[in-house]
Amino acid sequence: MINGARQGKLSGLRRLVAAAMSRDLDAFLIPGPDIARAHGLDIEAAGLRLAVSPRHASVLLVVGAIPPALREAAAVIYAQMVRPRAILVLGTEEPSSLPAADVVTGLSQQGLIQGVHQLRGAFAEGAFRLDVSDFDAPVLQVRIEYTCPMHPEVVQDEPGSCPKCGMNLVPREAQAGAGHAHMDMQATSSHEHHDMDHGVAVEYTCPMHPEVVQSKPGSCPECGMNLEPREAQTESMHEHHHMDHDAAVEYTCPMHPEVVQSEPGSCPKCGMNLEPREMQDTQTHEHAGMDSDADHGSMDHSAMDHGDMAFMSMIDVTKDLPRSGDGLPMEWIDAPFGPFFPGLPGGLLLTLTLDGDTVAGSDARSLIENVDLLQQLPMDTMSFVEQLAGMDPLAPVAYRLLACRALENAAGVKASADTACARIGALERERIASHLGWLALFGQQTGFDWLMRRAAALQLKARHADLEQTVALKPAIQALTKQLQRTPLLKSRTAGIGRLAPDATLRGPVARAAGISDDARSMDKIFTTLGFTPANRKEGDALARLHVRLDEITHSLALIEAAGAIELPVPANIGKVSGTGEAVVETPRGMACLQLTLEMGEVVAAQLETPSTHHLTLIGALIEQQELGDALVAVGSLDLSPWEVRQ
Amino acid sequence: MTTVLLLLLLAVGAYLVAVIEAWTTSGRLRLAAPLLAGIALLGRESIVPRKPDQVFFEVAPVLLLISAILAAAVVPLTPDLIITDLATGALFINAALVYVLVALLMAGWGPDGAYAMIGGWRFLGQLIAYAMLIVMPITAVVMRAESLLTTQVVVSQAGLWNIVYQPLGFVLFFIASMALAFLPPFDLTTSKGELAGGVEAEYTGVRLAIFRLGRLALIITLAAATVVFYLGGWQGPLLPPWAWSAIKILVVTATMLLAGRYMPRIREADLLAWCWMFGIPLALLNIFIVGVLVLVFP
Repeated sequence: MINGARQGKLSGLRRLVAAAMSRDLDAFLIPGPDIARAHGLDIEAAGLRLAVSPRHASVLLVVGAIPPALREAAAVIYAQMVRPRAILVLGTEEPSSLPAADVVTGLSQQGLIQGVHQLRGAFAEGAFRLDVSDFDAPVLQVRIEYTCPMHPEVVQDEPGSCPKCGMNLVPREAQAGAGHAHMDMQATSSHEHHDMDHGVAVEYTCPMHPEVVQSKPGSCPECGMNLEPREAQTESMHEHHHMDHDAAVEYTCPMHPEVVQSEPGSCPKCGMNLEPREMQDTQTHEHAGMDSDADHGSMDHSAMDHGDMAFMSMIDVTKDLPRSGDGLPMEWIDAPFGPFFPGLPGGLLLTLTLDGDTVAGSDARSLIENVDLLQQLPMDTMSFVEQLAGMDPLAPVAYRLLACRALENAAGVKASADTACARIGALERERIASHLGWLALFGQQTGFDWLMRRAAALQLKARHADLEQTVALKPAIQALTKQLQRTPLLKSRTAGIGRLAPDATLRGPVARAAGISDDARSMDKIFTTLGFTPANRKEGDALARLHVRLDEITHSLALIEAAGAIELPVPANIGKVSGTGEAVVETPRGMACLQLTLEMGEVVAAQLETPSTHHLTLIGALIEQQELGDALVAVGSLDLSPWEVRQ
Repeated sequence: MTTVLLLLLLAVGAYLVAVIEAWTTSGRLRLAAPLLAGIALLGRESIVPRKPDQVFFEVAPVLLLISAILAAAVVPLTPDLIITDLATGALFINAALVYVLVALLMAGWGPDGAYAMIGGWRFLGQLIAYAMLIVMPITAVVMRAESLLTTQVVVSQAGLWNIVYQPLGFVLFFIASMALAFLPPFDLTTSKGELAGGVEAEYTGVRLAIFRLGRLALIITLAAATVVFYLGGWQGPLLPPWAWSAIKILVVTATMLLAGRYMPRIREADLLAWCWMFGIPLALLNIFIVGVLVLVFP
């Protein structure tokens, strides 16, 4: 049995269909394939296929604990999936805002395989069911607000008339709230609102003499009444067009709102032509449709015309549209990419204002609110280390090491040379796995299938490899690098894309690709004795970042070999000391810095600086006026971790 | 009878494309997988997005399929195994496949979603890139055959296949076919990592099944056309003609599907620039060379 079963009796042919479904499961991953790989999960080996659109998925696979904002976004994704649909949760309690999970297992490959097995059974038995219930969550509610067509500043929750001009307020869906700005689910503003934004032509007409129409306010030449504004004729045709497939239409008199009828005609009180409008109950109608018919993107058809174009002047239609760089007026649309976008790190929400396929504006933020992590202080040292290590599933070892070093510095304890060396082994192994994970994501984003699979497979191997196994990876890494050097189209896809000038905000591989040989490891004596030299490129573009990461994988292999041991950092027992300490660790994404204050063996204050926080601020300028594909490559090449972003 | 048989063969071909495609991506050869996937898709809800252009949304997948079938109608598998041996066959393939553009634009516009819409417009740009590179190499092929009959095109290669006679044309046509079938690295319109599926993103259930079937039929049709134009069609020793056709078509299909795995998706700007700066001059050169060859060695 599954909660998201499709309505119907499971008999005869449907039994066959259900059996086929149970063998063909497409999974949409929350927070994303990158996190699944970081946890060592091989989705395809477990018998699932990765779906890139929730519409094509039958399983929502939740990997590990996810923060509240992502839970809401996940509910939206679930609502977009078509029935039958199921939820498989790995290694966490069931996320609220989603219906009860159909299967919950542990966060491991074993757990995943077991979960998929149970899901298959559940699908075969219960893909169809007679009693199905709708899924509804607060985040899916659409709020309807009312606004005046002429005075956009007038907005209220109840229907009524405009205090400024007395016109009837028109309903629209409330502008996307925080919870709504998710993947292809931004609440679509109603047509009226949309057009107002771009100032659709308004014409003026006499309430008594509809034949009098002019483009400027004034008085009626026949009766002297003040002309009243209305949306230009073409606009009402739009609405009409949409109403055909949108909702029931009723007709009302612009002057006498109490006159309402289901057919066109004239007003019995003043004789004016009745105007069509959407029936009030469309709100509930659209609302109910939200479950499975969620809208996609914030663009709608009204402004890009279907067939009525002959009636309007292009100059009128486009005069108030924003101008692109090339001077062509186009309809700009806001499209959300994330927080579960297949080509970007899970948890990153990139909202692009697109002018055609060119980025006219952008907003990037992390939906993973790790801000309060360090506000739960004071905390004993052990839990502090665990907290920090658990903060970023993409770099747990680096942050564990950072916490250990800062604690030891505060307490004035020094780790032995052997321990320090072995810790470096662990840090460098994580760097290899992390860079491979980035390569897999890059492959996924650019449709470079071979790279995606090869890098992901190597990442899974490298993740927990011991010294011997790590060294054994060398030939495979060399082969990968060689293959990338002779890959056609790779250079044209990345060279010159996302170019960044050397700048103080750059960190890690991004900085080293721009010619800044800024690496916390060069300041570390142990690293220099192991023969460390930072990677360096000058171009500062996506290609240079790719090369730097490839170089670093090779360097890290050499460092691990030189270090001769791999050991996860464990905090030294520091007792009940007081003091302040600072530590710097070169994480796979760049330098992270932690300052903390100890009091009687407890961490009472801490300050953390992370590379992705800096890089997130670069995005706006980086992708301005870039073509969509290039913009995504540019953002991807920064290798952001939304988990370490501190807003 | 031939028509029914050929439509059946087209369906089998589309099925084999699905099997090969799954094999090239996952490395596992599973013969039953597309069947299960198809049944599962038919059993899933097929929903209409909230503010669709109903006509476009419903018609697009069907039109894609029809376009591929129409093109397949003039592709011969043996001298007799052809739905209709049109006197303008070689040209008709090109005409029928133009509706792929229409279908994808409609699929992009229909669901009222940003990803789909961008995907649809991207294909319009793609058409401007590949269209000339479909029709110009075909021109050189029919110059040699001195006929637009597709069967005649095959017969004209009895001595020497076109892949040897006009290799330049083959390369251009092969690349353009991949672009026309929006196969990687030309999958700008359905790209997963950039548009979460693009024009496919909003289709579900039976509509998605038809869309995917249309795409598979398009791939097999283009592979068959490549075989007819450049690989000597049904000609070959020992084996019967239909077997040669089948083998060649499957090999071309596998090559088309494999090539894109080893490179990232092309940039739209690069595609347009290269097609016009290099592709079209090369296609003209090809026509010139073939013209000279035809005159000198009639």
